[in-house]
Amino acid sequence: MATRHDTRYEFPDLPLASVEAGTNLLLTGPTLEGARELLLRLLLGEDGVLIVTADTSARKVLSAFEAVGGRIDRKRVRVVSCTQERDDDLGEFVASVGSPGDLTGIGIEYSGQYEQVYARGYDSVRTGIYTLTPLLVYSEDVRPVFRFVNTVTSRIRTADGLGICAIDPSAHDDQVVNSIAQPFDARVDVREVDGTVQLRVQGMPDQPGEWTDVPPIS
Amino acid sequence: MPTVVCVDADEGTRTTTVDALETAGFEVRQSASVGAVEAVMDDSVGCVVTTAALPDGGVFDVVELVRESYPDCACVLFTDEPPADLPRGGRDQVVEYVPRTVSGSHDRLVDVVRAAATEVTQAAYPVPENETERLAALSRYDVDELSALDTFERLTALITTHFDIDVAFVGLVDAHEERFVACEGANWRTLAREDTICTHTILTDEVMIVQNVQEDPRFAGVDRLDELEIRSYAGARITDDDGTALGAVCCIHGEPRSYTRAERDDLRRFADEVEEQLELRRRLGDGGG
Repeated sequence: MATRHDTRYEFPDLPLASVEAGTNLLLTGPTLEGARELLLRLLLGEDGVLIVTADTSARKVLSAFEAVGGRIDRKRVRVVSCTQERDDDLGEFVASVGSPGDLTGIGIEYSGQYEQVYARGYDSVRTGIYTLTPLLVYSEDVRPVFRFVNTVTSRIRTADGLGICAIDPSAHDDQVVNSIAQPFDARVDVREVDGTVQLRVQGMPDQPGEWTDVPPIS
Repeated sequence: MPTVVCVDADEGTRTTTVDALETAGFEVRQSASVGAVEAVMDDSVGCVVTTAALPDGGVFDVVELVRESYPDCACVLFTDEPPADLPRGGRDQVVEYVPRTVSGSHDRLVDVVRAAATEVTQAAYPVPENETERLAALSRYDVDELSALDTFERLTALITTHFDIDVAFVGLVDAHEERFVACEGANWRTLAREDTICTHTILTDEVMIVQNVQEDPRFAGVDRLDELEIRSYAGARITDDDGTALGAVCCIHGEPRSYTRAERDDLRRFADEVEEQLELRRRLGDGGG
């Protein structure tokens, strides 16, 4: 954490250029399989992986991660589940919070898991949060969500990690999404057209700014 | 480097933590209980590092006490206890957490504290990308002197009459609060930044309109706005010559209200006038002509 990484995060098989260590991306798109799948594909590699799941059980998320080619290795892959579904039998591999509204609990479990992965020698860690939408829906006041997002993106930035947070823009006021986007380095918009997932990136000149097809998993 | 407060009842572990932070270059103040935290807090404190359990409470009592007076202050939980054994805080008491049980935990703590103490990492509002440069630009103005000027008082009085609204103000958004250098129709001096609408206004060059605060999801949950009877808002950002945001010129009304295009343009012109005055004052302060 104290020394900057020279390495960049690569995205093999996706139409995206590599990004610097410490980058946070906001993935905006409807809550569809295509968006979830893209988020999980952005986490592929040999780095540590932390997934915060707010709408699907840890078991299903891990299964989906394997389906896109992710290797489930307990030393480097961890899940924080804020769904009501119990995954106790998965052991320390999964931390359960119980509600997307418990931002304090999510933050502590996330940091705890980050440190566990980091302590095992993984000093580059990819974080995926799917999605911020339930966190916003469960909070009567948007300010704690700002605090949560600022805290998590700051940890990722200073730890030379990679952060991908998904949000469904159709579920929120535009201004809320724009404000939430503030600490992110760029916005990756996702849509599905006739069964094909497409993406475009706003805020990073070396990335595709026009809608670009995402090739299916090979 | 900002000051750090270390809260731990165990003298041995507290001393080890303090040593690690001091070696990293921080000035560190110590507290052995929740009750003693208040006495060591002031504006210079950028981060509070606390253990989970204290004789008179726990981590979330510390967080509550600190954020009541210093809402942006970063809080870091540094403890042996695993997350499952920690006391449950309020759902919105987001903190950083470093387990003391991991290898190199003090180095990890220093890294987290360094980021937390030097950036605004736990703010409950969106922070401008150029915040450090923005605050440096703001520091070139003497806010106390600006507050004593009649010019802005006359201007805000004119704005309330022009728009037929309850309150008009010129506010400068500093690191932790908005300071009202002129305010017509109310006696507001400062407002915590997380409670202000202007902290959102400074992010956009458009005139920001909130027709009904209670129906805007960004502000509906902010009790302080309700207490101040702020029901509608219009704000135009004020910047320096380099385009760096300093604050906003704003219209407040106790009822929902919309603003026509012509009214928005007028508000923008009032903001331009404030910008010119600010630039003039800055040049006079710098000794320039």
